[in-house]
Amino acid sequence: MIVAEEITRVYRMGKVEVWALKGVSFTIADGEFVGITGASGSGKSTLLHILGLLDRPTSGRVLIGDRDVQRLSDRQQTLFRLNRLGYVFQDYALIPELTAIENVIVTSLARGVSEKEYLKRGAEVLREVGLGDRINHRQSELSGGEQQRVAIARAIVHKPSILLADEPCANLDSETSKNILDLFKQLNEDLNQSIVMVSHEKWHERYFCRIIDLKDGLINSMRECNVNR
Amino acid sequence: MLENLKVASFLAFKQIQRGSKGTLILTIMIIALVFVNLVFLPSIISGVVETFNSQSINFNYGNLVIEPREGDQYISDVDALQKKVEQIPGIVGTSPRVSTGVTFFYKGRNARSTLYGINPQDERSVTTINERIVQGEFLSRGDTDKIIMGKTLAGTEGEEGGGLPTLQGVQVGDSVEVAFPNGERRTFQVKGIYETQSISVDTSAFTTTDAVAQVLGLEDQASQILVKTAVNGQEEMFRIRLLSYGVQQQVFTYEQKGAGFVNQAIQSFEIINAISTLVSLIIAIVVIFIVIFINTVNKRRQIGILKAIGIDKQIIINSYVLQVLFIATLGALAGIVLTAGVIYYLTVNPLVFPGGPVFPVIEPATVVRSIASLFAVSVIAGYIPAWKTAHEEILDAIQR
Ligand SMILES: Nc1ncnc2c1ncn2[C@@H]1O[C@H](COP(=O)(O)OP(=O)(O)OP(=O)(O)O)[C@@H](O)[C@H]1O
Ligand SMILES: [Mg+2]
Repeated sequence: MIVAEEITRVYRMGKVEVWALKGVSFTIADGEFVGITGASGSGKSTLLHILGLLDRPTSGRVLIGDRDVQRLSDRQQTLFRLNRLGYVFQDYALIPELTAIENVIVTSLARGVSEKEYLKRGAEVLREVGLGDRINHRQSELSGGEQQRVAIARAIVHKPSILLADEPCANLDSETSKNILDLFKQLNEDLNQSIVMVSHEKWHERYFCRIIDLKDGLINSMRECNVNR
Repeated sequence: MLENLKVASFLAFKQIQRGSKGTLILTIMIIALVFVNLVFLPSIISGVVETFNSQSINFNYGNLVIEPREGDQYISDVDALQKKVEQIPGIVGTSPRVSTGVTFFYKGRNARSTLYGINPQDERSVTTINERIVQGEFLSRGDTDKIIMGKTLAGTEGEEGGGLPTLQGVQVGDSVEVAFPNGERRTFQVKGIYETQSISVDTSAFTTTDAVAQVLGLEDQASQILVKTAVNGQEEMFRIRLLSYGVQQQVFTYEQKGAGFVNQAIQSFEIINAISTLVSLIIAIVVIFIVIFINTVNKRRQIGILKAIGIDKQIIINSYVLQVLFIATLGALAGIVLTAGVIYYLTVNPLVFPGGPVFPVIEPATVVRSIASLFAVSVIAGYIPAWKTAHEEILDAIQR
């Protein structure tokens, strides 16, 4: 379970303060697939960063499984990101010196997975996102959409209990998007994973249990959808 | 722990494999050149010391020098003393010398220098001046009116010595007049000219002990006795052994005799060397620091990404340190190859110093110390920028 309590995030640039989040609260249950929508600049990425332990809220708390994650030590947070979280960055954030499969399996190495196993799993997950024939290509040899799918593969290779995805389909055609969302849905259902995904597309809504709509750093609306799931 | 090392080496390996080869080679070359600089100057200094030592042993002093007791001008009962010393195990030769300051006259020119009276047979057992005859022959027993002369003292027609005594053009077979301190003058025929490249020897001359003894009225006396040991490098031990065998005179090692001049020269060399070592290490620090710094600054985003996906900072830092170790290893190897090249060149074409040709001498300790300091420097220069970047906030590193 993820609980956000009155989260604010203020960026200070000299004398100017930018309130990216102005007090956001919600609870996401295990196994829930939540969509986050909102105009550009409404604070979606900022919120996801905070949920993903990549950033600290200016005030407020994030509890994951009853634990106040801000209280964890730096090292514990790192381990938490490594083992429990999967994160798809809006701009992919791949390591240019690594090939597709190396990008995917570098965290498996850190988790101590055996070579045989991570090579198998790495190839498998790249196949699932439709890059079975691109595993040895480097970032510069991949299209935007392909890079995005490598980022997705990296985020789900270890079947994390929480998947945070920042517009993971922004660069994909609707056919590929559908495959990815089906994949998410399958993980979500099979493993009771919580997924929080930023999206602009109306048609994505049918995958979500709930949509949190942000506006100017506040929750504009929160509505259940896909009730017949 | 092992996992961490695995990830760190994986990342390091990929970065080197796929990173800029130009930067890599440049860094390796810089480290190699620093290595050469660290090893080269000490090897020349060692070479100078070595040359000077062998010059001292071979031409000036042998390994040990026995000198008169304090207050005496000569050692007496030389024959007996010589026999006593020659029995000592490990002593292979002794050569009594009588030395006196004289003035040489030749074709209206004159030069003040030292004339040694030697027993040619004994002298051969200690020094190797007899192998350095460039014209004519070495002295033989009974040569009471013959003299051999250093190349510098003999000189060349029309060339002034530039402060060194020279007779400007003495040839074998020429006659030279010698004025002794007691006012007596004698004419000697030049039997040979030698060249040792040791200044003090090449500006002196030798005749037989008998000749000098006649003039000065000496009997069984010597100014010093040179002693040759079977191996070099154990002079202090032999000095004590001589004393323990009842030698009543003063005994010096060649190092003690040569001390003043060489020690001063070596001290100045050591200072130059220390400065040069320091400077090259600082250059190494700065260069490696800059290279790694630019490298990590360019990798800021990646470092941020790695942290974001759950890779521990320490792993990231280690991956950079491993890269630096790898670069330093290749640099040191390249440096060894380069040094070997330079040393080979200088062995074939030695530098000529006033004391003779100098061959660079590489001491293992210098090599070990240079490698160790290069590694230390590299690790420091690699660690700091990696540490700094790895401690940035994740989003700052990723976004800007
Ligand atoms: N590092 C930063 N420094 C200053 N202001 C920032 C920073 N990051 C974000 N902001 C500001 O915070 C606000 C929210 O940004 P955020 O990236 O969360 O928006 P978003 O909803 O993800 O937008 P988009 O749909 O374009 O990705 C914006 O006004 C943005 O300019
Ligand atoms: Mg965003």
